[in-house]
Amino acid sequence: MKTFGVTILLLGAPWMLADSQWVLEKSTLSYHISHPLHQVDGVSHAARGKGVCHGGQCDFLIAVPVKSFDSGDSNRDLHMLQVTRGGEFPLVTVKLRLAEDAASSPTIHADLEIQFGGQTAHYNQVPFQHVTQGNENKITGTIPATLSDFKIDPPSLLTMPVKNDIPVRVEMTWRPM
Amino acid sequence: MSFRSKIVELSRHVLLLTLIGTAPLWPQATSTLSGAITNTSGVAVANAKVLARNTATGQTMEVQTNAAGVYSVPNLPPGDYQVSVSAEGLSPKASNVTLAGGLPQTLNLSLEAAGPEAPSLKDLGFTPEQSQGSAANQALLDRRSHMLRIHQRLGLITAAPLLATVITSNGAAGRRSTASGRDLHATLGSVTAGLYFTTAYFSIFAPKVPGTPTRGPIKLHKVLAWIHGPGMILTPALGAMAFEQRSNGQKVHGIASAHGVVAATTAIAYGLAIASVSIKF
Repeated sequence: MKTFGVTILLLGAPWMLADSQWVLEKSTLSYHISHPLHQVDGVSHAARGKGVCHGGQCDFLIAVPVKSFDSGDSNRDLHMLQVTRGGEFPLVTVKLRLAEDAASSPTIHADLEIQFGGQTAHYNQVPFQHVTQGNENKITGTIPATLSDFKIDPPSLLTMPVKNDIPVRVEMTWRPM
Repeated sequence: MSFRSKIVELSRHVLLLTLIGTAPLWPQATSTLSGAITNTSGVAVANAKVLARNTATGQTMEVQTNAAGVYSVPNLPPGDYQVSVSAEGLSPKASNVTLAGGLPQTLNLSLEAAGPEAPSLKDLGFTPEQSQGSAANQALLDRRSHMLRIHQRLGLITAAPLLATVITSNGAAGRRSTASGRDLHATLGSVTAGLYFTTAYFSIFAPKVPGTPTRGPIKLHKVLAWIHGPGMILTPALGAMAFEQRSNGQKVHGIASAHGVVAATTAIAYGLAIASVSIKF
């Protein structure tokens, strides 16, 4: 029995204590904007991300260039870049910390810290769906962001401003490094 | 009490008062901070660096743990200290401690195994150029948006005299043409042209942002400008010729007869240019 216990410790402990890292393989992030004349979706596939796990906790960092969002109109995208202060703060970054065992749960509730336009906003317990396919972990969800969270004046077209809500749809595929 | 006893008693009081009065001049009673450094499994950590920093004066003293993981920092004046411990392969740790004069203090610390640090933007492969913006970049975007906002508003305002010019063309041409009708039409046309070129100025001279190819409805908007732009130059010129011919009692002839067609084409292209950025196709 004692030998069995020692064997378990020798085999199990290194695995339990091992550091693991994750890399964002592919992603689709899209914001949605409502305007009296338009419904606009800006899409980016340019996000980069990394997760580092240690001591049962995983720290994730995801960053995406503001100018990589494509709404189908370059003039509108440049206008968005201007109102979101993308010239001065070119990246949107998302930081989150998860328990390492969250990787086995079909729904992950994450506390997000988002830096955008020189402002930081926190979103607590944002639900994400999690599906594991082989070596890949697919995460989907929506971040309930608003323009006022980041002190951004709503951009306007033909003198009509857009709505304050800009939900961001997240689709990410992570794999262990 | 004898005189001698009184003298001795007085001397004691004087000595006591002297001792109390000069107390701040004595060397301060110092303390020794000591303790043991272990890892999370309780194993002693040898050669760990222990740094005690007085938070008020900034004065520091560094020692190392011995083979048993024990350290001792002697002769520390009383005060608040930040004690930081670092050792190879372990995460550094810091703790605060208050030392009272003359009293020894014990601080034991346990260090966790060092793990990889939380990811940074550098880990994601972003260059400083990609991750750091500048006030100059933002100023360029601000100036561009400001000028295009004026362009947009003036463009909408210009549509009103343009429409009025088109409507009053009935009274300026054909059998029902009158001198006052021509004057009104020409005046409205001049106002339209003036506003139009002011509108165009704010678009043409808005700063360009390098590396942003034109795509989407704005592309059509720009293509249409190549129609209504020259049209806005030709239309007044042809209109002036037609105006002069009609004022001389002549029938509009020659190149001036193209005024109506060019004006209509220009107005339609202008209307489509506004629609191209207003309606999602």
